[in-house]
Amino acid sequence: MTDPLLRLVDLKTHFQTKGAGLFGEKKVLKAVDGVSFDIAQGEVLGLVGESGCGKSTVGRTLTHLEKTTSGQAFFEGREFLSMTPHKFRPLRREIQMIFQDPFASLNPRLKIEQTLGEPLFIHGLCKTWNEARSKIAATLERVGMDPKIMSRHPHEFSGGQRQRIGIARVMILQPKLVIADEAVSALDVSIQAQVLNLIKKLQRDSGMSMLFISHDLGVVRHISDRVAVMLAGKIVEIGDKHQIFEAPQHEYTRKLLNSIPRIAIGKEA
Amino acid sequence: MNTLIFLRDAFAGRKLATAGFLWLCLIVVAAIIAPLVAPFDPLEIDPVGRLTEPGWPNLFGTDHFGRDTFSRAIYGARMTVIIGVGSVLVALFCGGLIGMISAYFTRLGHFLMRAVDVLMAFPALLMALVLITLLERSVVNTVLVIGIVYATTTARILFGMTLKLKGETFIDAAVCSGAGNSSILFRHILPNLLSPLLVQASFIFAFAQLQAAALDFLGLGLPPEVPSWGNMLSEERIYITRAPWLLIYPGMLIVVSVFSMNLVGDALRDSIDPRFKDDIAGV
Amino acid sequence: MALLEVENLEIAVSTQRNLLPVVQGVSFAVDENETLGIVGESGCGKSLTSLAIMGLLGTSPVRITGGSIHFDGMNLLALSEGERRAIMGNRMAMIFQEPMTSLNPVYRIGDQIVENLRQHQNLSHAAARDRSVELLNLVRIPDPSERIDSFPHQMSGGQRQRVMIAMALSCDPKLLIADEPTTALDVTVQKEVLDLMADLQSRMGTAIVLISHDLGVIAETCDKVAVMYRGKIAEAASTADLFAELLHPYTRGLLNSIPVVDRDVEWLEAIPGRVPTLEETLTGCAFQPRCELATELCACEAPQTTQFKPGHSVQCHFAGQDRS
Repeated sequence: MTDPLLRLVDLKTHFQTKGAGLFGEKKVLKAVDGVSFDIAQGEVLGLVGESGCGKSTVGRTLTHLEKTTSGQAFFEGREFLSMTPHKFRPLRREIQMIFQDPFASLNPRLKIEQTLGEPLFIHGLCKTWNEARSKIAATLERVGMDPKIMSRHPHEFSGGQRQRIGIARVMILQPKLVIADEAVSALDVSIQAQVLNLIKKLQRDSGMSMLFISHDLGVVRHISDRVAVMLAGKIVEIGDKHQIFEAPQHEYTRKLLNSIPRIAIGKEA
Repeated sequence: MNTLIFLRDAFAGRKLATAGFLWLCLIVVAAIIAPLVAPFDPLEIDPVGRLTEPGWPNLFGTDHFGRDTFSRAIYGARMTVIIGVGSVLVALFCGGLIGMISAYFTRLGHFLMRAVDVLMAFPALLMALVLITLLERSVVNTVLVIGIVYATTTARILFGMTLKLKGETFIDAAVCSGAGNSSILFRHILPNLLSPLLVQASFIFAFAQLQAAALDFLGLGLPPEVPSWGNMLSEERIYITRAPWLLIYPGMLIVVSVFSMNLVGDALRDSIDPRFKDDIAGV
Repeated sequence: MALLEVENLEIAVSTQRNLLPVVQGVSFAVDENETLGIVGESGCGKSLTSLAIMGLLGTSPVRITGGSIHFDGMNLLALSEGERRAIMGNRMAMIFQEPMTSLNPVYRIGDQIVENLRQHQNLSHAAARDRSVELLNLVRIPDPSERIDSFPHQMSGGQRQRVMIAMALSCDPKLLIADEPTTALDVTVQKEVLDLMADLQSRMGTAIVLISHDLGVIAETCDKVAVMYRGKIAEAASTADLFAELLHPYTRGLLNSIPVVDRDVEWLEAIPGRVPTLEETLTGCAFQPRCELATELCACEAPQTTQFKPGHSVQCHFAGQDRS
């Protein structure tokens, strides 16, 4: 059996909160409190839960945006949470992140080509701007955007278009693991469907693994192979997609599924 | 290109601010072509024609040395521009750098910002006086001193703005792309600070004039042989009853110029990114 | 006449150059004990419509430019400022999406409810406080007599929204407008809040206008639905009728775009393109650029609202037709 691409072992990320008043007790916020899971090559793991459960923190810890308190994470067998920023940098090419807010995730001052070109130069994938531009053009087409847009600025585009550009930024590095942090949550329903289809297609075509973080169970079902349910910093249930959705074991999972409003179609008045 | 559009939008419909902007342009032009437009040598003494009233050929009259006030006023514009631009550059460079780095590297920032706080506890004029007495009177030192005075508030302002920007998602995205610290500071954060920096610059430009005039008035600013509006006020103040025009003209020039700079600063501030509007509290 | 009757409502925003229509020809009615759902995506004008009904458009560049709004027999657009204030919060109330910003963070929640009560009813402070505790109990806030002195930031999102509901219902209004009341809430909390609203409606007979982008929420809670697209009502019917047969291609597309939790679908049938921006003026049907049924006719002539079936109106030249 091949090693999983990503393995998390008992990940804990705790935050110190300020105590009330001058001598108030300093409380510890256990955002992530002992999370373990594997993601195999080419697999999509959906991480689902309500606000405050810690799912976003898991994603941010894996990209070194938050400091882990204890626990380990292995990428292709190498532990990477304890790496220094310098050592981790080459790994950043393999582990990429799609962010939630399409309006805040692109630098408003840079042209699209500068935003998309930056990672290419950082990781030495291009030496000249000509090379970079052709790669950028190809990637923009892959995400369904006209390559001509690369000389424009983010504010000229809608939310859905900006999210595609954000996806392009990720895909241009051809990463092995993509962490999607509520990647479609800020989009309108009809645009959400377009972008979801795009993400699914890109994942299938490239064979990359994905950690898809979302609060929307319908979205998670559509895109994941396996699903993990989080509550208060811990995983309460993890398993194959069909098992989770059709035969949930944990009462919280069942509560979640029952709360979702359903549309009954085709019933006459 | 973006800056031009920004400027055009900032002044649209604001007649007073546009007038102020044009006045400032006039001063800059006068400063540059001073030798061509000044009718007399500003340093030329004429003991016979002392304290003559404004008329022809001395449009603003002559001072107690017989020097032509009008020509001195034109040459004084040079000092206005030099002090303005010089102080702005010193303040923005030193203050901006300290502010940005303090916000980005928070542990270092704690020390630096406390030091800035201490300096800010001194009134600007007092600090300028202390510094200038340590250095000799010269144009460069005056610019340096005034620049340092305003570097403190600039540091504070940019500290706040950089902190705000640091939390933006696109910075996270840049980090995830593998960008290093200097790349993030200068490619991502700094360009987003340019508009607020521009507004800050216009305010410093205005206040620097007042500081310089105050220093000159106290006899601690520019060397006396350099014609500047502040120096003119300082030297001629005892003649206020005999030859009030010697004070009225440089005084008016200072007032109008500072007012114009403030108007321009206001216009620019109102057009910048609304996120930062509260951070620009002026100087 | 129904409790709330909106007829041919037109709202426009004035830019530097001209007047751009944002809501055109919107008509609907709500009766007591009835819930109307207005569903649509961003830019469709649903929020503006609700603000217009409440009279909250104020002096902004967005203005009502036509149509009428009648509430309980009164013409809302003809009321004076004082008359309007007498109704708002009293016989007509509104709750918003973000409970944190619609509650004043520096006042205790009890004080905010009491303020609303004393504004419209002749109650002593003590009597108003008692009533507030009753209301908090009604919206299922535990320990209401203690929680009444909490500040908004000390409560969870779901609790804050309940406080908003308590405030809105404090004067026993005939009409409640809820603008995306559960969008910012977790799905389990959403269920509780929606159940609460339904329960309160059955007890107090309040008419509810529920605005949402979530078709699921609308399907489960509303008696009638109006689907809005780019300022117009694309389709309107009772909930049962609408979901029995979706007539407008947009409504169908919207439904097909939603990934459901109960079954697997390989690819979602997404609606291509995006909503045209406000500045893009259109001839013909607003949905035409994205519609698979569109023909030349759709590009030239905007469809009128027709009663395709009794009680089921639609604005489409090819209503009810499938992709051929």
